[in-house]
Amino acid sequence: MRYLLISICTCLIGCVSYVKKNNFKEVTITDKVVYNPYFSDNSKDYVYKAKIDVYNKSFGGIFIVKKIAEANHRVVFTTEMGSKIFDFTFHNDDFKVNYILEEMDKKLFLNILEKDFRLLIRENVSIFSKSVKGMSEMLETKILGKKYYYAFKQGKLNSITRVKMGKEKLQLIFSDISDATAKNIQILHHNIKLTIKLKSIN
Amino acid sequence: MRNILYILFLIVTTTVHSQEKMTTAEAAILKEKVKSQAAGTKTITSDFVQYKHLDFLTNDIVTKGNLAFKTPNLVKWSYVEPFVYSVIFKEENLYINDEGQKSDVNLSSSKLFKQLNKLIVNSVKGDMFNTDEFKISYFKIKENSDIHFIPINKKISKYIKAFHIQFNSKGDVIEIKMIEPSDDYTRIVFSNRVLNKTVSDAVFAH
Repeated sequence: MRYLLISICTCLIGCVSYVKKNNFKEVTITDKVVYNPYFSDNSKDYVYKAKIDVYNKSFGGIFIVKKIAEANHRVVFTTEMGSKIFDFTFHNDDFKVNYILEEMDKKLFLNILEKDFRLLIRENVSIFSKSVKGMSEMLETKILGKKYYYAFKQGKLNSITRVKMGKEKLQLIFSDISDATAKNIQILHHNIKLTIKLKSIN
Repeated sequence: MRNILYILFLIVTTTVHSQEKMTTAEAAILKEKVKSQAAGTKTITSDFVQYKHLDFLTNDIVTKGNLAFKTPNLVKWSYVEPFVYSVIFKEENLYINDEGQKSDVNLSSSKLFKQLNKLIVNSVKGDMFNTDEFKISYFKIKENSDIHFIPINKKISKYIKAFHIQFNSKGDVIEIKMIEPSDDYTRIVFSNRVLNKTVSDAVFAH
C-alpha cells in the first residue's frame, strides 16, 4: 500500500512538473482536437533526405510519405540510389509491412518505427488539457494510454513530446515550416540511441 | 461505337509505341558491338538524371548527378541535386560521402551485396550478357536497343526483378531501368557521356 501511494505521488509530481517545469499555465480548453497538418495533403508527395543514427550505425536515404486517403498513408524509405529499405502502409489502426530489407526485419526495431511514424502522420488527437506561456501553447493528449504534449509557437505545431514521469522519452521536432510543410523534422529518442533527421527535398 | 473506336485507337497507339523483338542475328550483332565497346572503354564520364517511380506517388522523385568509371572496376556515383551525396565502388568497399559526412561499408562478408554491386558496375558499361546469370530478351526501339536482363539467382531476384538497358546505335548505354519485384522502378537516363577521356585516380579518393 505504501509503495502504491509512493508511486502514485511520484507519478502525480512527474506529470504536473512537465508543464510547470516549462513555466506554462493551465487554461480552459477551447478546441477538443489538436491537428497535425504536416502529412495531411493527399495531393502532395512528401519527400525528405533522411539520416538515421541507430546506436553506432549511421545511414542515409530518401524518406517518402504519401497520404493515399483518409487515415491511410504509405511510408517508404529507399537508398539514395533508389533501392527500397522499407515500405509500410498505415490504414486506421492497421500496419502492413509491404517490404523490409531482411537485415532490418527485427520485431523490436519495426515496433519502434511503427510507433514513430504513426505519431508523425496522425492528424487528429483529442486534447485533455491546455497550458499557455506567451505566444506558446502546450496541449496534453493521450494516445493508446500514453501522454503526449503538442507544442505550438505562434500557431504552428513545432513539437510533439512523449512524456513519462515528467521526463521526455520521445520528441518530434518540426522546423522551417511553410505552407503546412515542415522542411526539417527530427525524431529524437531519449531512452534509446535512435535519431531520425529529415530534410525536405521537394 | 465511340468506345470501340477509343479502344481501337488505344490498341493502335500502343502497338505503334511497343517494342519489336530482335532477330537472333540482330541480337548477336548488338551483343558483339556492346562487348567490343565495353572492352575498348577505359574510362566513362557522364551526367545522369534518376527517376524513382513509386506507383502511389503523383510524381517520380527526380535526382541529378554525374558518374565516373575507370577500368577495371572503379565507379563513382555522385548526386548534386537536390542533395550532395556520392558513393565510390572500390574493390570490396563502398565509400560514402553524405553532404560531407564520410563513411565506408565493407561488403566482403556479404556475397549478395557483392553480387549486387558487381551488377551496378557492369550495368554502367552495359556488359551483362552472361546467360548463366540472366535470362535475356532483345528488343528494338527505332535505332536503339532495349535489352531486358532477368536475374536467374533467386536471392538477387528478391531485390531486382529485371534490368532494362537501352543502348544507342553505337552500343553505348543511354538508359538503365532497375525494376523491383513490386514493379516500382528506378530509371537512370545518361547524357553528355564521354568515353576514354583521362580520369584521375584522385576522383575515386575518399
